[in-house]
Amino acid sequence: MIPAETRYARASDLDHALELLAEPDSKAIAGGQSLIPVMKLRIARPSLVVDISRLDLRGVEERDGEVHVGPLTTWNELIGAEVLQRPPLAAVAECARGIGDLQVRNLGTIGGSVVHADPASDMPAVLLALGARLRLRSPEGERALAVSDALVGPFTTTLEPDELVTDIAIPMPPHGSGSAYASVEHPASGFALAGAAALATPDGESVAVTGVGLTPFVLSGDLSDAEIFGDRFAPAEYRRALARVVADRALSAARERAKVNR
Amino acid sequence: MSDTLGVARPRLDAPEKVTGATRFAADGYVHGLLHARPVLATEPHARIRGFDTDATLAVPGVVAVLSAADLPLAGTGTDRTSEPLAREEVVFAGQPVALVVAETEAAAEDGAELLVVDYEPLEAVVDVEAAMEPGAALARTVEDSDDEGGDLESVHGQVDKGQEDDAGEQLSGNVLDRVTREQGDVAAAFAASDAVVEATFRTPWVYQAYIEPQVCTAWLEPSGTLVVSTSTQGSFVTRRELARAFDLPLDRVRVIAEPLGGAFGGKFALVEPLAVGAALALQRPVRLVLTRSEDFAATNPASAQVTHLKVAARADGTLTAIEARMIVDRGTNAGWGVEGATSLLVAGPYRWQAHDLRGYGVQTNRFTFGAYRAPGAPTAAFALESLLDELARELDLDPIELRLKNAVVEGDVGVSGNPFPTIGAVEVLERLREHPLWAQRNSLPDGEAVGMAAGHWPGAMEPASAVCRVDADGTMTVVTSVADMSGVNSGFAVIAAAAFGLPPEQVRVVTADTASAPYAGASGGSKVTYTVGPAVIRAAEAAREKLLAAAAQELEIAPGDLEVVDGVVRAVGAPDRSMTVQEVASKALRFGGRYEPIEGHGGSAQTSGAPSVAAHLSHVRVDRQTGEVTVLRHVIAQDVGRALNPALVEGQMRGGAVQGIGWALFEQLDHDEDGRLLTGSFLDYAIPTAERVPEIDTLIVEVPAPDGPFGAKGIGEAPVVGAPAAVANAVARAAGTRLYELPMTPPRVWQALRS
Amino acid sequence: MPDTVTLLVNGEERSLEVEGRTLLVHALRDGLGLTGAHIGCDTSQCGACTVLLDGRAVKSCTVLAHQAEGRDVTTIEGLAPDGELHPIQRAFVEHHGLQCGFCTPGVILTAADLLSRGGSPSDEEIRHALRGNLCRCTGYQGIVESIRAVGAAS
Repeated sequence: MIPAETRYARASDLDHALELLAEPDSKAIAGGQSLIPVMKLRIARPSLVVDISRLDLRGVEERDGEVHVGPLTTWNELIGAEVLQRPPLAAVAECARGIGDLQVRNLGTIGGSVVHADPASDMPAVLLALGARLRLRSPEGERALAVSDALVGPFTTTLEPDELVTDIAIPMPPHGSGSAYASVEHPASGFALAGAAALATPDGESVAVTGVGLTPFVLSGDLSDAEIFGDRFAPAEYRRALARVVADRALSAARERAKVNR
Repeated sequence: MSDTLGVARPRLDAPEKVTGATRFAADGYVHGLLHARPVLATEPHARIRGFDTDATLAVPGVVAVLSAADLPLAGTGTDRTSEPLAREEVVFAGQPVALVVAETEAAAEDGAELLVVDYEPLEAVVDVEAAMEPGAALARTVEDSDDEGGDLESVHGQVDKGQEDDAGEQLSGNVLDRVTREQGDVAAAFAASDAVVEATFRTPWVYQAYIEPQVCTAWLEPSGTLVVSTSTQGSFVTRRELARAFDLPLDRVRVIAEPLGGAFGGKFALVEPLAVGAALALQRPVRLVLTRSEDFAATNPASAQVTHLKVAARADGTLTAIEARMIVDRGTNAGWGVEGATSLLVAGPYRWQAHDLRGYGVQTNRFTFGAYRAPGAPTAAFALESLLDELARELDLDPIELRLKNAVVEGDVGVSGNPFPTIGAVEVLERLREHPLWAQRNSLPDGEAVGMAAGHWPGAMEPASAVCRVDADGTMTVVTSVADMSGVNSGFAVIAAAAFGLPPEQVRVVTADTASAPYAGASGGSKVTYTVGPAVIRAAEAAREKLLAAAAQELEIAPGDLEVVDGVVRAVGAPDRSMTVQEVASKALRFGGRYEPIEGHGGSAQTSGAPSVAAHLSHVRVDRQTGEVTVLRHVIAQDVGRALNPALVEGQMRGGAVQGIGWALFEQLDHDEDGRLLTGSFLDYAIPTAERVPEIDTLIVEVPAPDGPFGAKGIGEAPVVGAPAAVANAVARAAGTRLYELPMTPPRVWQALRS
Repeated sequence: MPDTVTLLVNGEERSLEVEGRTLLVHALRDGLGLTGAHIGCDTSQCGACTVLLDGRAVKSCTVLAHQAEGRDVTTIEGLAPDGELHPIQRAFVEHHGLQCGFCTPGVILTAADLLSRGGSPSDEEIRHALRGNLCRCTGYQGIVESIRAVGAAS
């Protein structure tokens, strides 16, 4: 399958990227691991693809009580980041290890995944549980946006078409914290039938789930009232049960890690 | 010879394949090539009112839009070769209705996207059981007026068709075939049994999932010869089918079977008529490479099946009676079905006192059924072997002992009415019983269990021939028409080397095209090694006679006193008096030479079958919370007759077992209620990945086939047959509840655990 | 309209004309005749088209040719010098890591990435790394054994 006709432009810097993205129906491409598949299916038909993959927006850095992740950081780079191996943020590397496959992890980026907003993608659940925030740039300027406010529906975010993510900030949980990710995957696509990320801190716990609703969400209650998505492969009733199981598993693992970190 | 046969050797084609040097059918450069993109029906059952081609033809690079009327087809049959594009009636969603042909692949795809097809929807027949009811809507309203169409059954193995129909049953016109096999008083046998179990088993449509999508390139030589370069299991059968469909003389069609990127039963004259039709219509070379989505939607997967099965035994484990009613969803295949095969194979390699076996081939608006590795067998074994475990449980017998007690031996009359030839059922079960995993089965953690099951494949036969030629450098070339689906060429090399007396490294094997190759049937039915192998032996022996005749004169020793060892012709008992094969050959192959070329032709026409039995142990863990099943370890024991190259034999055993795990846990082509495919990509249709399957232990059992080449049997199909049932039996023990439908997906297992 | 891109393919600078939408796999196969990258699916699942981009395994069906501009692309044809086999290729021959061979180039290049990360990967790590490479013939065991052998020898 071949994408519909499109033009290609490589952004030389962030301002150039924003300038190019001013064209209606243009689309930013980073790793392309979400965008190119939907272009091949001709579900996405951008008039112009703006290649932002060579911008200097990658890397993982700890500063001022936060871990800043460049949106162009690939899954494999996340897996290799030392700070994401440690108990408080271990969910990030753990989740990244299970995403796609080796080839996809070599190119796919965390920023691309978040803005693609696939309701079954794994990492948004982790970012929700950890309370991450996005920093956004547009020609109008900069703003910050909580991940929970960004994800509003399947493949739908509150980002403006000309906005780019420039940073993903994850608050460093206090000493004595642990996080974990657990999921059950669809055997073909590898996407989560249900996935859950958990953070256990001395001050409290938070769990977010993915794959079971229109968008990943932070768990409140026992899921009996949550609107759960179902299909012929995995009916809603099953996904609801599964979400409880993975939430329990993630939380137990997070608590175990928190103990180690004490 | 002793160090030629039975030694693990790399495949002959391995060096080319690991370096990317192998040219598969999509890889060759053809001058002036056009690219075709099929447009697939979006309706499961409809009449085509017409096409709006304006937008498509306006795309730069698009050369033509072709519908059925544009292809120079001769016949009026409704098989896929005779009707590669739907004429007027669409009979499944995914059926090709038009071809867009363009100068580039991109232009063809751009054009295909814009083609508008006007359909008049008809009632779709989707439920195979409802389709059988008298008065049910018909899946096809236009009758097949061309009786010769779709004669592809012969390539898939010999299974007898059973007895005449039972005329008393009222069935709709969707029932294309009924097969009945009865013997003995079944009711009385059930009544006299100590345990009777019955259940209904369901298996889905399953996709061959060869990694190379179907592909064909066709062009006309200036001489008028049609050349077809294709990924096919059979060059001669493809030639015959194309000649029939387009009414061409056989000698004007030259079919080249390119290296196969997997096939498993699915690659028979499906895309060739499309590429050929376009090439003939446009008088230009045309290539059609299906996308994966098209391959899922438009090809010919294994039938879905519903099996009602009842079996019984006496307290000592002696099997008494078997009764089966097996409904095979043929989709739109009017030419043949597996109802005959599956209702025979459901009896397994076991003795029964009475049987009543019925198979029904039913048309629906789903796909066109085709062959997939051991057609009809995994589904039959899933039902039978599940119930044999239930019998063993009820009678408190060891599952392997129960099977051993009833396993057929040579001379036992099967439900076909014919005696079994040499068969290794007992030997395989005994070997499996010795595996340590079987002893460990009662000391596993909670949630884990070991299941076992057996299965067999009767094999197949077709006359075949081969040529062996020795060149002046002393190497041999074996020429056949065989598409190398499973490593058979590497088997031919050791067969020829052993029969002639050359080191196997000095033998190469060439697949020639239909213009020059000696005849052989298609690769399928586990018949290639068994039928072409003897032809290779005879060809090598004939070449050896030429060699000895020449060497006899050179050495002044009678041919009968010469032997050929490791490429050297020498006097028996006086090895100093010798010449190399190269020396003899170079004397023959030159101007003024005095000897005939060192070359031989050999043929075979096997008349006795050589069934292969394989049995499995599967060790699984069931996650009671999520329903996930993990296969932790899997063992297969198989009677292969003689392992000519154990490495390749083990490869077939492992590959087959893993495809069986796919049947068991992952694979289903699922349609929605309207008959539209829901799982038409690798995003939705799961095949086993490296992560989801364990190591497969292989136990090679050798019960030589009397007529096989050096005792070898066909081995490709048997390993898949019993694997799904073994996994199912393990899941039944681990979960404490049995699943009667494949695949055993996490949601289904979870549901079964709850109820 | 076609643009010219220049890639470093198997150590050689190669320029070719591509469209904005041209996928790297098509550029390699149709533009450069490197047909060892195979196309087995259209949803980025099968991995038959895997090549190394700057030494890392990627699915060339999920990369635009433009994105590879100026970068180092290694295909199966360029993994070893002419006429020789790379140790991974040799292991696949000797340990029966292939049958039909269609998935093989992609599997080998994925293995090359895995093994380049150092160490001697466990079977579990090997199988995890092969998640994006579908093989229908072998049941994967020969593949795993081939990769394990190279890892153990290094």
